[in-house]
Amino acid sequence: MYTVIKWNLISLEALMAVILIALTVTDIALPKKIKRDWIGDFSIISLSGLIVFWLTQSALNGVTFSNMFVMDSLAWFFKGFFLLAMVFIFAMTRECFKSLGERRNEFYLLLWLALIGMCFIASSADFLLLFISIEILTISLYVMTAYLKSDRLSIEAGMKYLILGALSSGFLIYGISFLYGTTHSTHFDVIQRYCQTHALSAMTLFAMVLIFSSVGFKIAALPFSLWVADVYQGAPTPVTALLSVGSKAAGFLILIRLFFGIFGAWHFEWRLALAILSAITMTYGNLVALFQTNIKRLLGYSSISHAGYLLMGAAAGGALGASGINFYLLGYLFTNLAAFLVIVIFSITTKSDEIEDYDGLSQRSGLLACTMLFALVSLAGMPPLAGFFGKFILLMAVIKSGYIWLAFIAAMNIVISLYYYLLIAKRIYVDSPRNPSLIAVPICMQLLLVFAIFGIVIIGIFQGPFLDAAMNAVKGMYLSHLQ
Amino acid sequence: MITLEAYLILSGIIFSVGLAGVITSRSVLKVLLSLELLLAASNLSFVAFSKFNGDYTGQLVVFFIILVAAAEVAIGLAIIVLMYRQLSTIQSDELRTMKW
Repeated sequence: MYTVIKWNLISLEALMAVILIALTVTDIALPKKIKRDWIGDFSIISLSGLIVFWLTQSALNGVTFSNMFVMDSLAWFFKGFFLLAMVFIFAMTRECFKSLGERRNEFYLLLWLALIGMCFIASSADFLLLFISIEILTISLYVMTAYLKSDRLSIEAGMKYLILGALSSGFLIYGISFLYGTTHSTHFDVIQRYCQTHALSAMTLFAMVLIFSSVGFKIAALPFSLWVADVYQGAPTPVTALLSVGSKAAGFLILIRLFFGIFGAWHFEWRLALAILSAITMTYGNLVALFQTNIKRLLGYSSISHAGYLLMGAAAGGALGASGINFYLLGYLFTNLAAFLVIVIFSITTKSDEIEDYDGLSQRSGLLACTMLFALVSLAGMPPLAGFFGKFILLMAVIKSGYIWLAFIAAMNIVISLYYYLLIAKRIYVDSPRNPSLIAVPICMQLLLVFAIFGIVIIGIFQGPFLDAAMNAVKGMYLSHLQ
Repeated sequence: MITLEAYLILSGIIFSVGLAGVITSRSVLKVLLSLELLLAASNLSFVAFSKFNGDYTGQLVVFFIILVAAAEVAIGLAIIVLMYRQLSTIQSDELRTMKW
């Protein structure tokens, strides 16, 4: 059977692959004497170019490669999300790894590989492609986590991430094998048709639980989030930022594709389980975060609690729940990356990630303190910032779907989280610094910090266009199962 | 004639052995070996389903799983070498610098 391959659907990924291969070949072939510092700058410039190219793709819609690759509104939304996040992460890497010298340039190649993996996750319409692209993302993350060869924490984090990550991909592929056994296919469209005509059987339930456990690993939902705190603390900060924004968003993207799409017909079987999981996850994350002394570890537990909030959208179901997840992730991108930018710049000068060293940051650098305040307040969910409106939509979706108790638990959790977020804000603004030396912020970092604050405020105040974008992403989804 | 159930039970046993190995082994090398068993179990069930369902997708998937397993082992062994250089041991209970 001959089918025409629609290359324009895959052009964004193809361009990225060309850039990655070109950079790899150049890095290998160039004589040792020639400096390679331009690879980082080149990457950031070409990312901006790709964002412009991505904007022209908004109307693309269709499947190709014998129904394996899909380009729809959801994939388009998340590809833009990943590109934007990557701009921040490349810039962080550029600052943070200056001391690594030439080894820094290989790191950019790994970042490109992770980006390609994430974009393919966004576009996969077949479990085989989904598995391969998840592995592309995860394997490059293993290498990046253990990248600081002489740092004991980095190695330890890399080892832990590798063991638990490989375990979760073992679960995923075992689940897929059972799904393949019952539905006779790995294509999403065939599996969806099967789900619509059959009731949930023991074998499919087993497969779904295994697949969900792997998604739960990615999004850091409770029973599968053992790795989060250690890996967040030990990994180099740009990698932590990528894990907390990129990897988590990829997990929720898969969740939306699977549970709002192909398994949508079995919605009622999994709703209550997701609601309970959401409540446990957010409570655990927030309670343990209260006792942290390391800021990256604290943000790790806070990331678990945010996975709990986001799972509320999945438990609520419907277009409102799914678009609530998208909108929340958009606000979370700016908020969390703002916090990690501050951590990167702070740790370059002070070589510390301990919260007590943040005392009196406002007297050492006004911009850093101000950005951190915005990020913390938005993470806590105070109006009128991005985090508030995201939580508001998710709570609304949950109440509409009848889980009043979950909304109540979430509200309690928001109050608990206010305590530890504002405690850091108090340290930054009220306490006096132990070491009053000023912290220099490079000019490009200043621009990014201002851009991040701008994003947090704009999404919080003018929610309309962003909410529309989040809604449109869900509405035009391939194999959608929304009312 | 070996039935589909027999293959699935065997793959289930391999999977459980792998899972038990990951949970109980203290040597990181053994953990890596057990992780390979998990993927081998999926390979077996894919091939069995493919044979009894009568289509070839499952056998095709197996090649990709082997590829992923090879990549994972390559990275895993590299990290184990780094760990040995840093900590002079490959016992997983030595990985305890970070704890709350």
